[in-house]
Amino acid sequence: MSGPTIGRRGALAAGLALPFIRPATAQTTEPYVMGSLFPMSGPSAEFGEAFTRGAQVALQHIAADNMLRRPVRLQSEDSQALPQPSVVGMNKLISVDRAHWVLVSWTATSKAVAPIGDRAKTIMVNGGAVGPDLAGLSPYFWNVIALAHLEVQVMVPFLVRQRNARRVALIYVDDPLGDGILGQLRTALPRNGGELVGSFSVPRAAQQFGPVVARVRQTRPDAVYVASFGAQNAQIVKALRDNGVTQTICSYSAFGIDSLRTMPEAEGALFTSQKLDLTGAHALTSRFAADFQARFGQAPLVYHANYYNAAYLFGLLAKQVEAAGGTVNGDSLRAAMLATRKFDLVGGEGEFDEQGNMLTQMQVNEIRGQQFVAIG
Amino acid sequence: MTAFLLNLATLAAISGILASTLNFIVGYAGIFSVAHAVFFGLGAYAGAQVALLLVPDPFLACLAAAAIAGGLSLCLALPALRVRGEYFVAASLGLQMVAATLFAELKPLTGGIGGLVGIPRPEILGTVVPVLPLALAALALILFLTARLQRGAFGRTLQSIRDADSAAEALGKNVNAAKTLAVVFACAGAGVAGALYALHLSFINVESFTLDQSIQIMAMVIIGGTGTLWGPLVGAVMLLSLPAVLSFIPFIPPTEVGAVQQIIYGLAMTLLMIFRPAGLVGDQTKGRSTS
Repeated sequence: MSGPTIGRRGALAAGLALPFIRPATAQTTEPYVMGSLFPMSGPSAEFGEAFTRGAQVALQHIAADNMLRRPVRLQSEDSQALPQPSVVGMNKLISVDRAHWVLVSWTATSKAVAPIGDRAKTIMVNGGAVGPDLAGLSPYFWNVIALAHLEVQVMVPFLVRQRNARRVALIYVDDPLGDGILGQLRTALPRNGGELVGSFSVPRAAQQFGPVVARVRQTRPDAVYVASFGAQNAQIVKALRDNGVTQTICSYSAFGIDSLRTMPEAEGALFTSQKLDLTGAHALTSRFAADFQARFGQAPLVYHANYYNAAYLFGLLAKQVEAAGGTVNGDSLRAAMLATRKFDLVGGEGEFDEQGNMLTQMQVNEIRGQQFVAIG
Repeated sequence: MTAFLLNLATLAAISGILASTLNFIVGYAGIFSVAHAVFFGLGAYAGAQVALLLVPDPFLACLAAAAIAGGLSLCLALPALRVRGEYFVAASLGLQMVAATLFAELKPLTGGIGGLVGIPRPEILGTVVPVLPLALAALALILFLTARLQRGAFGRTLQSIRDADSAAEALGKNVNAAKTLAVVFACAGAGVAGALYALHLSFINVESFTLDQSIQIMAMVIIGGTGTLWGPLVGAVMLLSLPAVLSFIPFIPPTEVGAVQQIIYGLAMTLLMIFRPAGLVGDQTKGRSTS
C-alpha cells in the first residue's frame, strides 16, 4: 500500500514557505509594528541614531508598563534623508511590515512619504524636521516638534530683552525652513525693538563660508542667527568663530545634537527647543532621563525626547483604542488623538491642534561647558 | 508585499530608462556624461508642472518632458562637439553643478529645495492609472528604438565615432550631427523617465537630481555592461533592488541598519567589478587588466 507521496521539489517548496506560514490565531498576538524612516547612513546618520534611541526607550516603557495587549516591534529603514530611498522604505513598512505607526524625519523624507501614508491611512509622526511647510501635509501626518517659525517667536524676545542683542544677522539655507525663519525675523525683530541688519542665503551643499562671514561682519551684528540643518550648522559655526565673529550665535532646535554640544566653537551658542527639564518633578520626564542614561550612558537631548514622545504617543493612543474595543489603525488612532488632544509626555503636557501639530512649552538653551543648559 | 514590489518595479523601470538612455551616449557614442540627472530633473519638473497646472495626463506630461529635456540637451551637445574624453566629463560636471543650483533657486518653477508637493496621480480618460505600465511601455519603446538605431547606419556611425572619431570624420561621417542626435535622443528619454518619476512619487525636489544621482545612473550602466542592450537594465534592477533586499536582513540593531547595509552594498559592487569587470552582461574578454 502506498500513501500520498511528495516530490523533492514539493518538499523544498514547503520548506522554503515554512517561515511564512503562521496559524490564523497568531494574528492576535503579533506585535504592533512601529516603523522608523531616519537617515541611518551618510552625513546625517548622527540624527537617525539619536532619533532611534529616543523611540527605543519609549518602547521599553510601553512594554514595562504592559500598556498594550500586544508587544510593539520597531522596524527601522534607512531613508538616507533622500526622497527615493524614503519612498522605498515607506512602501516596505506599509505593505510588507504592515506598520501601524511610522516615525519620520527630514523635510524631503516627510514630503515624499506623506502621500503614501495618506493613501494607506497610516499615522506618520515627525519629531525632527521643522520646516513650516510640514504643517497640514496629511490628516495622518503629525508633528511633535514645534515648527521653526514658532521657535523664532521665542528666541527674538530673549535676544532683545535678556541679551540686549538688537542687531541680528541671519545666515540661512534658501529653503522653506530658511525662508520661514527669515520671514519671522523680519516681523518679530521690529516688533520687539530689534532689527534684521542682514540676511545671507547659502546653498544647501556649501561647505565654505568665509565670504558670507565677511559680509556678516560688515553688518556689525549683536547676534548671528543660523538657520541651516545637519552637518552644515557646525560648519557655519566654525567658520564664524574662525573668521573672528565673537558675537552671540543663536539658532533653533537643530543645535541640540552632540556634535555641536562638544564643539569648542559652539560654546555660548543659544538655541530654542521644546521645554525639557530633566531635573524637575515631572514624573515621566525623570523616568525617561534615568532610563535613557542607564541604557545609553548619556543624558538625553531634545531630539531623544521628541522621538520618545512620538513613540510613546502610540502607546497612549493604542491603549485607548484597545480599551474601547476598537482595531488599532490610522483612523482609530487619529480619532483617539482628536478626542483627547492633551497628553502627558516628556517635558510636560503636549496639546495637539486639528492638523496634528503639537503645541508645547519652549525654552532657550545655552551650550555651556559642553552641556546644554536651559536659561530661559 | 504587492505594493512594495510594484513600487520597486516602477522605480526599476524608470531607472532602466535612465540607464538605457545614458548607455546610448556612453556605450555607443563614447560621450561620458555625468549630467544625466539634469535631464531627468528637467523632465520631472516639466511633467510635474503639466500635471499641476494643466491636467495629470501622463502622455502630455511625457511629451512635454521629452521636448524640454531634448531641446535643452543642446547645452550638453555643444561641449560634446568640442571636447572629448576626460575633458567632456569635466564639462558635463560643470553643467550638472549649474543645473542643480538652478533647480534649487528657480522657486516659481521648481519649488526650490522645498520641491513640488502634491503632484496628482496620472489619469487617462478620467481614471487614475498606476505608473508601472506606463514606465514599462516607455522602457520597451526606448529599448526597441535603441536596438533599431544600434543595428542601423546611425548606430554604426556612433560606434565608429566612439572608437576613432577622426577616422569616422575622414570617412565622411557627419560627426557633429550624429553626436547631437544621440544626445537629444538620450536626454529626451531621460526627460520621459523624469516625468514618470514625478507622477509616481507625487513629490520632487532637487535632491533627486544631483551629481550623486548622475553617478548612480553611470554605475548602473557600467555594472550592467556598457554598449549592450540589456546590460543597463540589469544594472538598474540590480542597484535598485539590492538595498531593498538588504533591508530584509534580520537581527541588525536598529541604530546600525544604515551602516551595515551600506557596507554590504559597497562590498557587493566592488566584488562584482572584480569578478565581472565588463559588467553583468558585457563581454568578459574586455575590461580585465592586462598587466
